[in-house]
Amino acid sequence: MKRDWKRKIIGGLCLTSIAFVFQACYGTPQDFGNDLLIEGQVTSKNTGLPVKGIKVSVADQEQYTNTDENGKFSFYMEKLSSTRIKFTDVDSTKNGLFSNKDTLIVIKDSILTSRKPKVYLNIELENK
Amino acid sequence: MLTTLKRALFREFKKAEIRHHELNYLFWECTTRCNLNCRHCGSDCSKDSNYKDMPLEDFLKALDTIESPAENFTVVLTGGEPLLRKDIELCGREIRKRGMRWSMVSNGYLYDKEKHISLLNAGLGALTISIDGLESSHNWLRNNDRSFEKVDIAIGLAASSSRLNFDVVTCVNKRNFQELEEIRDYLIHKGVKSWRLFTIVPIGRAKDDAEMFLTDTQFKALMDFICESRKRNDIDVKFSCEGFVGKYELKVRDSNFFCRAGINIGSILIDGSISACPNIDRSFTQGNIYNDNFFSIWQTKYALFRDRSWTKTGKCAECKDYKDCEGNGFHYWQGEKKDVLVCHNERIEKMTNC
Repeated sequence: MKRDWKRKIIGGLCLTSIAFVFQACYGTPQDFGNDLLIEGQVTSKNTGLPVKGIKVSVADQEQYTNTDENGKFSFYMEKLSSTRIKFTDVDSTKNGLFSNKDTLIVIKDSILTSRKPKVYLNIELENK
Repeated sequence: MLTTLKRALFREFKKAEIRHHELNYLFWECTTRCNLNCRHCGSDCSKDSNYKDMPLEDFLKALDTIESPAENFTVVLTGGEPLLRKDIELCGREIRKRGMRWSMVSNGYLYDKEKHISLLNAGLGALTISIDGLESSHNWLRNNDRSFEKVDIAIGLAASSSRLNFDVVTCVNKRNFQELEEIRDYLIHKGVKSWRLFTIVPIGRAKDDAEMFLTDTQFKALMDFICESRKRNDIDVKFSCEGFVGKYELKVRDSNFFCRAGINIGSILIDGSISACPNIDRSFTQGNIYNDNFFSIWQTKYALFRDRSWTKTGKCAECKDYKDCEGNGFHYWQGEKKDVLVCHNERIEKMTNC
């Protein structure tokens, strides 16, 4: 630990503020972890059963995924303090007909600053 | 005076970094299959590689040996072309599950909108795509008529993401040298924020092709081009960390030259070999994940990477800048290692003294 402080002090004194930021010649830039994991499950409000094939998307962004056979979904998205997640029935009657839903999620600072930021959503959709 | 002081401090910083040798950056050569046949390829990848892709579970076993990974620890997927792996998203998710981050180097050929979204979903955090000229010179170097068309799409998608830490790299050669300004304008137009320039290493397929290598005059002009571009502030242009560039240090990069291979950078290569950057001579292999504990090798071996006094030979033996350079990029020590393959500083000084 003592050694780490010494290293940081010398690094700071080098007057190159990015002494600790580097990339290998043939590698990528470093990732500073600017994202969070959104996970959850979509179920039917009427039956309580999981719903497959619901499109889960981030409002005003291109990212989306679909729920699996257990109604589950999981994706990483840019770390924002609040965001709107949309749940859309895109497969018509194939897995039942459901009303669409938008959910505004507000993410606490304690989650945003944690090492593995994650939000879990339980979403119920009404049958049409 | 200030420059001398900065250099002296930076030397102390390097010593501290070497003592600490925290693993921050791990290359995984996850495939050596490739969908292109580039003229400058250093690893001689091909469509039908002799090696099978490394099974994900083999890599994860090695990854799981790392005790308390560094905060910004990143696994960099490289190849070959990583997007040829069908399980690339699963690889990424398994890395993220362990609280680690991942990034990827790609030629962009298979990077379409669907792939862009699935990779973001899987927690891709940083990406590097190569473009080696305007359409004609890029396609020539990449040996593929559709390569530019494809990489143009990939660059547009990656640049549109505020999540990705994305940069474009260009291998500067005799053909694209005259196009640098146009390439810069093209990248700015595409919304790219960061552009890294390389020269080509005389290894692999490039070795005997004179068109790959800049003359000394062109190399110095490249340094001047980067200096001029950095003053404009419309795109972050930098020279890669491939070598020490003497009077251009801190003018062409944000930080002084420091080859971190084996100090902060490790690798697991296609056959399980444990080394540093993938383009480093394979004779420097430190162990193999199929026989050794990866992290134990990282902690206890890598002596030749962490004490580079053995490089004080050949043209480095009497060099006045040795303390700042320490043998240039590690990948310039190939074969019998009697002399450094390229000395960037020598090229610059030759032209300065003309």
